[in-house]
Amino acid sequence: MVAPELSVELCGVRLATPLIPASGTLAPEALGEAAGVYGAVLPKTVTLRPRQGNPPPRVAESPAGMVNSIGLQNPGVEEFLRALGAWEVGVPVFVSVAGETVEEFALLCGRVAADGRAAAIELNLSCPNVERGGQVFCAGPSAVEEVVAACRRAAPDVPLLAKLALEGVVQNALAAEAAGADGLTVMNTVPALAVDARARRVLLRGGLSGPAIKPLALRAVYDVASAAEIPVVGCGGVCSGADVAEFMLAGARAVQVGSAGFVRDPAEILAEFERYLREEGLAASELAGALLPAQGARPVPSER
Amino acid sequence: MRFLPAAVERLQSLGRYVLLSYRWPGEPPQPGQFVMARPAGWGLSMDPFLARPFSVYDYEEGVASLLFEVRGRGTALLARASEEIEVSPPLGRGFSVCREGPAALLGGGVGVAPLRLLSRRLRESGVEHEVFLGFADAGLAAAAEGFPEPVVATMDGSFGVRGTVLDAAGDLRRYRAVYACGPNPMLAAVGLAAGPEAQLSVEERMGCGNGSCNGCVVPTRKGYLRSCVEGPVFEAGELAW
Repeated sequence: MVAPELSVELCGVRLATPLIPASGTLAPEALGEAAGVYGAVLPKTVTLRPRQGNPPPRVAESPAGMVNSIGLQNPGVEEFLRALGAWEVGVPVFVSVAGETVEEFALLCGRVAADGRAAAIELNLSCPNVERGGQVFCAGPSAVEEVVAACRRAAPDVPLLAKLALEGVVQNALAAEAAGADGLTVMNTVPALAVDARARRVLLRGGLSGPAIKPLALRAVYDVASAAEIPVVGCGGVCSGADVAEFMLAGARAVQVGSAGFVRDPAEILAEFERYLREEGLAASELAGALLPAQGARPVPSER
Repeated sequence: MRFLPAAVERLQSLGRYVLLSYRWPGEPPQPGQFVMARPAGWGLSMDPFLARPFSVYDYEEGVASLLFEVRGRGTALLARASEEIEVSPPLGRGFSVCREGPAALLGGGVGVAPLRLLSRRLRESGVEHEVFLGFADAGLAAAAEGFPEPVVATMDGSFGVRGTVLDAAGDLRRYRAVYACGPNPMLAAVGLAAGPEAQLSVEERMGCGNGSCNGCVVPTRKGYLRSCVEGPVFEAGELAW
């Protein structure tokens, strides 16, 4: 029996499998376990200067998921690039960046592009924009367009993926596309709160991930892929090979695995996906968008 | 993270704690290391989503054990796991086992757990050491049963010495090595009393256990470090509480 074809092409980058770790969910220490699983690796989001991150507690359990508030702890872009060699494991390296201003985003993209090792740059647009009163960059299409256009100018030759939050995702996706993004990562964690009733305090204010958000992410991928021309990378609650297939059928060209990597061996997820393809007699690239409505019959973005 | 099925050897109550032993044919755990554990069949529901971290309480001839208190759904399910559980390999940086005594081992509440294996290793190497265990009350002090000749303290005086584990231990500067595990305020007090080389095993909320999520950090002189990879054992002088 011939092994199914797992490779996909994303923004001109050939990925041996459609799986990518979601930013901030795979440590270099855990890379060995992930050998052969991922089509590209993606380290934790990097910022211009070092960030110490939020004080603990940073994680809380929730039904079928977890809430996290890490606060983008990272050593800053220069130290990040010095240590990037640890991520060169024979597959393309995608670099996730976040700035607090449009200028910071552009400087980061320019710096990462000049380094030359990133096969693509993912823009983490869920970072607060200090120039717009702390609203996240993907709070609205005008901010998305401005920041993506600046990054495009700063890194004209590196594929850019705009990573969007759920709220307003279709409008923001179209804005990113218009500003020159090569692809869209849909979606980030969903704003969430964990409360300690005994201590009568907020345990943490952060983002929800895990299987609890999968249907929301699937819908977001489906709606964005219906409206935008550029490829979509699905992200949100992917825990199994069946989940990978569902996201690809709903319009994702590749799929990110996030918190599932904390609780499963990602090789099992890939093996399940491979079994699905074998049983269905399909190649991974044949799935992408198979369920999307035909051109011209697309839902209007505001439709519920 | 890779989890492996493990056969449960024994499940018993130690006062209000649960002691769960399981067959572990893999790499032997070092004192102070921890494992992530969850009930068998997790994959069917994936709920609770995260596994739970536990210090290894003891290990002998391919059988490891965990001591825990039922606090939420994860521990409640494990406390009923009579046949099989799913566990990670031993994780993290454990205690550095000293070659010369005398050593003091201080445990607070469920934090007594990693001291059992440490005490075993010290005994095997002939290192003189004393064990001081502190609990809220006699109902929890049953966890002291597994230790040979421990000094036990309870806050309410219902068992052993009345007071904290530090009250029971006295001057910690007498010891060449000091090891402790328990709530953060207790560890901070041990660090002050024993000096910067005391080895403290911290308890933090944990997500993944393999360094990936950055959830279980503790403040140190080098910034936030992950208790699952750089810890859970830190020298008192490293911590910046």
